[in-house]
Amino acid sequence: MSPETAPPLIAAQLNYLLSHFPLVVKIENKWSGSKYYPGILDRFTLVISYCLDVIKWDIIFDAESPMAAPDVIFGPDDENFQQFLVLRGEEEGDTKSPKNFLNDWNSRDPTQLMLLIQELRDQYMSFQKKRVAEVDDDRLKFEISTIVAREGIEMHMSSGVDKPEEVKFSVPLLDMNINKMVPGCPWKHKQKIYLQVIYPVEKKYVSTPSAPRLKLVSTTELKSIFSIDDVKLPTWLNGMCMAEYLPHLEESLENQVLEAVSLIDVRRRFIEALALQFGRPLEADPVFCRKATFLAASGVFTFLVHVLISTQFPKQQPELMLQSSQHFNSQGAPIKSLFLTEYPWSPRWEIPLMAERICDYLTDEALNFKRYCNEPQLQH
Amino acid sequence: MEDPSIDKVAISGPALASMIQRFSTSQGSVDGLIFGHVSHIGPTLTDDSPNSTSSATLIATITGFFCSGSTHSFYNSSGRVDPVLLRRLVQAQAQSPSAHLLGWFSGRRKTHLRPSLREFSVSNALSSNPNLTFPIQNPPEGPSNPNLVPSLFLLFASPITDQTIHTHEYRAYHFRASKHSFEPKSIQIVNIGPAFRAQYENFSPNSPFPNLPFELRVSPMIVDRGEENLDQLRQVNKGQSELDMCSEGLEVGSLSRLMGSEAANYTTGVEDLYEKMLVKIESLTTLVEKSSAKVLEQENLNRKLRYKAARSAALE
Repeated sequence: MSPETAPPLIAAQLNYLLSHFPLVVKIENKWSGSKYYPGILDRFTLVISYCLDVIKWDIIFDAESPMAAPDVIFGPDDENFQQFLVLRGEEEGDTKSPKNFLNDWNSRDPTQLMLLIQELRDQYMSFQKKRVAEVDDDRLKFEISTIVAREGIEMHMSSGVDKPEEVKFSVPLLDMNINKMVPGCPWKHKQKIYLQVIYPVEKKYVSTPSAPRLKLVSTTELKSIFSIDDVKLPTWLNGMCMAEYLPHLEESLENQVLEAVSLIDVRRRFIEALALQFGRPLEADPVFCRKATFLAASGVFTFLVHVLISTQFPKQQPELMLQSSQHFNSQGAPIKSLFLTEYPWSPRWEIPLMAERICDYLTDEALNFKRYCNEPQLQH
Repeated sequence: MEDPSIDKVAISGPALASMIQRFSTSQGSVDGLIFGHVSHIGPTLTDDSPNSTSSATLIATITGFFCSGSTHSFYNSSGRVDPVLLRRLVQAQAQSPSAHLLGWFSGRRKTHLRPSLREFSVSNALSSNPNLTFPIQNPPEGPSNPNLVPSLFLLFASPITDQTIHTHEYRAYHFRASKHSFEPKSIQIVNIGPAFRAQYENFSPNSPFPNLPFELRVSPMIVDRGEENLDQLRQVNKGQSELDMCSEGLEVGSLSRLMGSEAANYTTGVEDLYEKMLVKIESLTTLVEKSSAKVLEQENLNRKLRYKAARSAALE
């Protein structure tokens, strides 16, 4: 067997897990526990997203018997999770428990590991919910009672010897399917925006509870149409609760997301307008319309124009970069200009005018760039 | 349920070493059972320690173990204990009446030294089995002396990344049935030496003397019962002939050559004896070597077949 591979049956389970798990899951580490074949990987650390953070579980297979069910070692902070699992399994009469997957492990069915992890993660969610419910803090109890009905809410209780006790919520915002709003959307996972709320667990004698720490988090791919960093969170007033805070936030977010989606079309029209000036683009981002590349010529000097359009377009002007088709540096790479952002621009112009002005600007700039290309490339 | 806490785990150095050896020489992960007894040590009288709250302690002493050489020897992959398999293993290891099933152990290469989900389930099942309880060896005077359950768990692992300092790690846990959780316990390794003299009695040989049926073959008293003993006699004869085969060339009679009139040839007699012994040992070693080679060959073949089977199963 070639070095550093998992036995086929185990590899099939892992591949299925990685490609079909509805949430983000990664293999952080893989290694071999085999004495005779150190190249056969049978131990894996899975990193599974949970409550805007990750949990790491070790999945232990046995290269000596690849048909056997794996074992799981949970994180050092989750020692009580096993207890929860086992007790719960006894309570529910083993009808719905990870035990069943392990009992009837069928190594020929590649979906087994994914189903096991999914079930374990669901159980982990209930485990954390139970831990949070046990916290003796009146405000927390109230907050939970008002938002627990929200679909997809996750919570996490973090406590440790040298850490302050905190309860972390991940509240999914906006009940809309952003994936469906983007035509031709290539995203595998459903894009979501979450509000992370962290409550410090209050000591009994504190009269005014401190405000929770708030942070907006979005799934990573959403960045191509909407940057969460540009959103300004409303301030949390004293004595506020989440049920009051969330509706305002959601309303303003919804407007911003709708605007961001509509801006895709504005960018598309802009690229189309550029095409009238430069001819058909060599390359363009057809879904999010964030970049396009055109071929241009000034006399015999031909060069490429890269147009990078931010999500803030048209408020923010596009960045331009020129790349020569005829000049190369000592490494053999084509010579490029720096990003050009200082050129006449007004967000109030009509889109055809924007394209026209860029074309005018580049007519002059091409000469500068040509001169720059012909200079001996010393420092490059 | 009353659930007395075990304070310490004691094991003799050789026993621990032997467990680690079984783990490190095995092909894959291993598990097994541990036997021993739990004894009660009364409070020590010390005048000058104001905080001598250490009233009485329970010490679990491991006196023996059984290593299955593989995993799942008495439980299934979800950690459910199979009572039939467990009873068979415990009976096969039947030791002296003072050795009880204390718990079990698990060894797995290159993993974190934390109990896994399956290990938790197995410990939970073992400690909740009412048929496996046993008493404390020298219980303190008092009205209630709860029985104990097999709740000890020894975990062996090797570091995930190769370490220059150590190759194996181990940790002992006491599974508290009342709390459904593991409590790490310190392991005291008892060796021979003045510091451990007080504990020698815990390890005194308490295995029963092997049962050797003593049969006077020509006793007139049992002649009448001849018929029913024929089979037995035949068996004894068979055993005798097997023993004779082992001592071939080394008959007791030849010892007479070392005495009396033949003592003049004393040296040659002894040399002759030693020579024969050497030849015997040599033939034994070659025999062992050959059989070990065969075993290894078969094991390798088995492993190859297993991989092949796994691969073809995956291709389907």
